[in-house]
Amino acid sequence: MSQQTQRVERELTMSRAMVEAIATEMRDDDEVFYMGEDVADYGGIFDSTEGLREEFGYDRVMDVPISETAYIGAAVGAAQMGMRPIAELMFVDFFGVAMDQIYNQLAKNTYMSGGNVSVPMVLTTAVGGTYNDAAQHSQTLYGTFAHVPGMKVVVPSTAYEAKGLMHNAIRDDDPVVYMFHKRLMGIGWMPAPDGPKTPVPETDYTIPFGSADVKREGDDVTVVTLGLHVHRALEAAENLADDGTSVEVLDLRSLVPLDTDTIVESVEKTGNLVVVDEDYRSFGVTGEIVASVADEALGALDAVERVAVPDVPIPYSRPLENEVVPNVGDIEAAVERIQ
Amino acid sequence: MYVDMVTARHYEERLQEEYLEGKQPAFDISAGPIPGELHLAAGHEASGAGVCQHLRDDDAVTAPHRPHHVAIAKGVDLKRMTAEIFGRETGLGKGKGGHMHLFDPDVNFACSGIIAQGCPPAAGAALAAKKRNTDSVAVAFLGEGAIDQGGFLESLNFAAVRDLPVVFVIEDNDWAISMPKDRVTDVENGSRRAGGFDMPGVRVDHDDAVAIYEAAGEAIGRARDRNGPTLLEVQVHRRMGHFMGDPQSYRPERDQDAALARDSIERLAADLRAHGVDDDELDELREDAHKRVEEAIAWAKDQPEPEPGAAHEDVFVNPGSGVTDSEPEFELAGGDD
Amino acid sequence: MSGEDDRVAVTLAEWPDDADSDEGVVVNWFVREGATVEASQSLCEVQVEKVSVDVLAPVDGTLVEVVRDEDDEFERGDTLAWIAEE
Repeated sequence: MSQQTQRVERELTMSRAMVEAIATEMRDDDEVFYMGEDVADYGGIFDSTEGLREEFGYDRVMDVPISETAYIGAAVGAAQMGMRPIAELMFVDFFGVAMDQIYNQLAKNTYMSGGNVSVPMVLTTAVGGTYNDAAQHSQTLYGTFAHVPGMKVVVPSTAYEAKGLMHNAIRDDDPVVYMFHKRLMGIGWMPAPDGPKTPVPETDYTIPFGSADVKREGDDVTVVTLGLHVHRALEAAENLADDGTSVEVLDLRSLVPLDTDTIVESVEKTGNLVVVDEDYRSFGVTGEIVASVADEALGALDAVERVAVPDVPIPYSRPLENEVVPNVGDIEAAVERIQ
Repeated sequence: MYVDMVTARHYEERLQEEYLEGKQPAFDISAGPIPGELHLAAGHEASGAGVCQHLRDDDAVTAPHRPHHVAIAKGVDLKRMTAEIFGRETGLGKGKGGHMHLFDPDVNFACSGIIAQGCPPAAGAALAAKKRNTDSVAVAFLGEGAIDQGGFLESLNFAAVRDLPVVFVIEDNDWAISMPKDRVTDVENGSRRAGGFDMPGVRVDHDDAVAIYEAAGEAIGRARDRNGPTLLEVQVHRRMGHFMGDPQSYRPERDQDAALARDSIERLAADLRAHGVDDDELDELREDAHKRVEEAIAWAKDQPEPEPGAAHEDVFVNPGSGVTDSEPEFELAGGDD
Repeated sequence: MSGEDDRVAVTLAEWPDDADSDEGVVVNWFVREGATVEASQSLCEVQVEKVSVDVLAPVDGTLVEVVRDEDDEFERGDTLAWIAEE
């Protein structure tokens, strides 16, 4: 743990923070390498590797064929030999073509070997909608990846978290799925909202998994969320403050492990729980959070609201996508209903 | 090789006995000392032996759901492997993997149960060897039923385009559970797939350990010299059903009899005799191998079962929080919350 | 352009070669007014047509004024910010 007393003034976009962490780790350890589609010269289609090829070359920043089973499986194999690969699934929606290597190998080899084998790799992947890319390119699938045992799953919402979680993910000997939201990256052609660009320390630092962050303190309602919706929830909270409602916003940051303690602590204070998720409503994050709180602190729970993408494939047309992806107004309405 | 082969044959025959114990008269798959599925490799011995003779401990091998002959030839710890098959606490995976998921990191052996999915990790192990500038190689074993699976085809391309030191070994025993080759694949032999991926493809038509040894030597040598991957296909035969309990009603009796009649072990023995090895020596080797198998099985059966609570452990090797459990304090300017 | 004696203009020093346009947009600022900056430090990211370019600090000093904010357009040669040189 490092103590920084000097004020950190330099801000970074989330993509630059992520890249800074990866570059630092690659400088420190020859065994770290990145593989993915269009990651070398292109720098990643969502800027996840911008500048890395220029510094580390084509061997360590590897462009791969459109062949997810092969290259994600190869990352598993290389990791089992002790290397530390970072493999990128370009869009999380592409998981279907490689899910066996992910959920039957990456996730399970440690357990099936009784802990004798570990898979020290990171699976990075771009998630999320809000830019009209329709059903096969707009999902977050948080629930799908959190559900299968054997993978740690993290979801940064700001540049500061992106760097700290990435350092931990690379150094961890366990497999980590690192889900970064496209709209938070700070890409020129997909402008980010206010919020994800934050001061980022120049030094390297790690943020523990399983640690939720109170992004805004409040007394009346607890809003638990992740990724893009941390910023939408903060905006909603700001608006609601004008009406006299004090909203506490919790950023999960990590789905596996899940920081139930921090959530329960907040609900014990407010009694009102709103969960906001950009994944499908049924059998996912919102249900899991509500159930976890009910398990541990049913008495403290007065009211519950789940705000999520309904159980429909994400539609293309703007009014339709806006209808299904929760927005600031939806979060405000949920808070108002719960009061 | 002879030792590996007789060890493997005796091992599979003995496991068949152990497996069926407690499952009769009505076949209840979860009963007995070896519950679950069991896929035995009697008849495949030449392949494991012929290929693994060329491999070192630092060469990685992945095998499919019919792995025991490969594991034995690779030098996997036989006692701990047997304990794992019997689901005991001191097994290779503490009883958590079982016969289809055997991992021995000391000799870099792993097997898994999803068809063709051992191919990508083998390519990955080869990639690691290449990156580290060693002369290690990787070998992926698969059955002829796996050659239509995407994971295999993708691995061929990946290995070829990246010039990886990996050998893919197809064990062709003609049957994928109940499917004979020609009903599921259009090319005559899996080795012909190699041409489509611009890599050498070799087929050994006979169930002959020496022929397999020679072909494997070339392929593995090519990889070690950093001259790229090879697809090697070897003809073996399946003496038993696909899994234990398989009545093989789909398989003509003629085919089953023919399989039992030809025996690669006998063939190798004849070969050795022709080179001056006498019967007494062969008998001694065989007896030692049998003894080793018996010792492993006896040891395994004597091992304790795992404590139920252990089921919750070993999901991860590190704590859930990763490499740290605390977050540093920074003074961040801007106050953008 | 006249400014105070010790204020240095921050501009996009090298306009992208293959850009036809003389206009760009400020995409991201990486420091705020009042921040201490070092020469060659990346101050902001601008986009000219489809190319993203970092604008670097010409000198050490304090960023005293941001002239073009995020999403603002600018023309070739425009001052994006002022640095009070150390």
